[in-house]
Amino acid sequence: MTISKESLLKKLSDAVVNMEDEEVVEICNEYIEAGYPAFDGIMEGLVDGMNRASQLYEEEEYFVTDILLCSDAMYEGLSILRPHLPESELNKERLKGVIGVVEGDTHDIGKNIVKIMLETAGFEMYDLGRDVPLQSFVDKAIDVNASFVCLSTLMTTTMAGMETVVNLLREAGIRGQVKVVIGGGPISKKFADTIGADGYSPNAVKAVKLVKNLLNIA
Amino acid sequence: MLLPKARLRRVLNGEEVDRPPCICPGGMMNMVTKELIEKVGSGFPKAHMDSVMMADLAAEVYETGCFENYGVPFCMTIEAEGFGAKIDMGTGISEPHVVEYIINSVKEWREIPRFSHRQGRGRVVLDAIKLLKERNSNVPIIGNLTGPMSTASSIIEPVVFYKELRKANKEAHELMTFITDQLISFAEGQIEAGADMIAISDPSGTGEILGPKLFDEFTVAYINKIIDSVKKAGIPTIVHICGQMKNVYTQLNKLKSDVISFDSIVNMKEARENLPDRLLMGNVSTYAIEFGDPRKIAELTKKCAKDGANIVSPACGLGMKSPLKNVMSMLEALEKEL
Repeated sequence: MTISKESLLKKLSDAVVNMEDEEVVEICNEYIEAGYPAFDGIMEGLVDGMNRASQLYEEEEYFVTDILLCSDAMYEGLSILRPHLPESELNKERLKGVIGVVEGDTHDIGKNIVKIMLETAGFEMYDLGRDVPLQSFVDKAIDVNASFVCLSTLMTTTMAGMETVVNLLREAGIRGQVKVVIGGGPISKKFADTIGADGYSPNAVKAVKLVKNLLNIA
Repeated sequence: MLLPKARLRRVLNGEEVDRPPCICPGGMMNMVTKELIEKVGSGFPKAHMDSVMMADLAAEVYETGCFENYGVPFCMTIEAEGFGAKIDMGTGISEPHVVEYIINSVKEWREIPRFSHRQGRGRVVLDAIKLLKERNSNVPIIGNLTGPMSTASSIIEPVVFYKELRKANKEAHELMTFITDQLISFAEGQIEAGADMIAISDPSGTGEILGPKLFDEFTVAYINKIIDSVKKAGIPTIVHICGQMKNVYTQLNKLKSDVISFDSIVNMKEARENLPDRLLMGNVSTYAIEFGDPRKIAELTKKCAKDGANIVSPACGLGMKSPLKNVMSMLEALEKEL
């Protein structure tokens, strides 16, 4: 007897929430073999699970280490389901974002979580990593035609680099097309306003809402 | 009026003092600024590798009237380098940081070289402490350790490390034991060289990242192992943890350190309510110290003391561009209150 689509979706979602990266692969294979559409498996299974995880994160039931393991499970599942997406879905243009930790700082846990959340929300993220030369943010934004740039730092010593990126985007003539959002330990809304960024987010879940608001796709 | 060392000792003994001490331990809690470096005439990054320059800079922090202690080193990469990580020594305004890890999984912990503090930059720190010992004996010397979790996440990619705390729990503990044992001998070396106090900073071991269970299992357990050993030598300890505390106050209270220090995100009043019997240190915003003005910093300093800080200190390492007059306004505010 074939298992119903709904119960497989629920199992996929649960496997992500419960950080079961091996089980998620089995369920994905079972889901594809049963002939159900990959797109629904991703959105209503894996992404649904990741959204539940971020809800738990916001409620402080889950912490960064939990989110990292949940996202591992989600990405494992994605690698199985994605190749089964129809051509039209695979080639669909997604909004792009560039993300990285500014030069001088090598802390990137927060940035990684933000990236996971934005990918879950459907954005195509280009991760420049940590200790990123400031001009690289601008070059990459031009290169991929990004809609937004996310900058992070945990150190007061490197905060000034964020303002430099805003200025470099202006000099490159693309400031109008690229939203800049910033975050990290010492960052505040006031600092974002001071340097002319478009927004500040205190955490990863709010970063998704912020980006969506700024791009008018809320 | 009490001399700095006596005042700090009284606070640690739970005795009454005229006012809270104003200290900045060093290590992750950097207390050296660009202006101070210019004043001394010896600079970063050289001072990270030269014990005479290190001692001179640390002494200048006290002599200029910034803080009432000596503290070395000025970064949190000594241990990571000792364990084989590749370090970029930074510039005059940026801190040394790790650019290459040694292992890819906690399961490879046996491949990590042993950290001998008798050579390399560990030695520089010990020699700097010895030199400081010859200076003003009324000033407490604080030796610094990078906490076990932060050291671990400096020799292995943090994302991998955090995941493996659960996925390879047994080996994660083996790695932590291996690291902690050598941190203990580094602490012993610092005490032997003359440190009056040991500060352990573990910014990567925060409750926000780990959640209460892992915070207890890894951060608290291994820091306490170090404290137990330092205590045997009769030396008091400070532990500094970054991030929000509200989920982990219960676990935090298990830390056996004499003093607990927080970053600026923690409300001192709230910390005082949650940890009524502990000596608390903190947490004047380093953002305010770098970008604010002396009046604002004086207000924050007084509020911090009023809200329950037994020792007043910056909430984090100072930004290198912090104006000296801002840094000095903390101690001035406390002295004026008198």
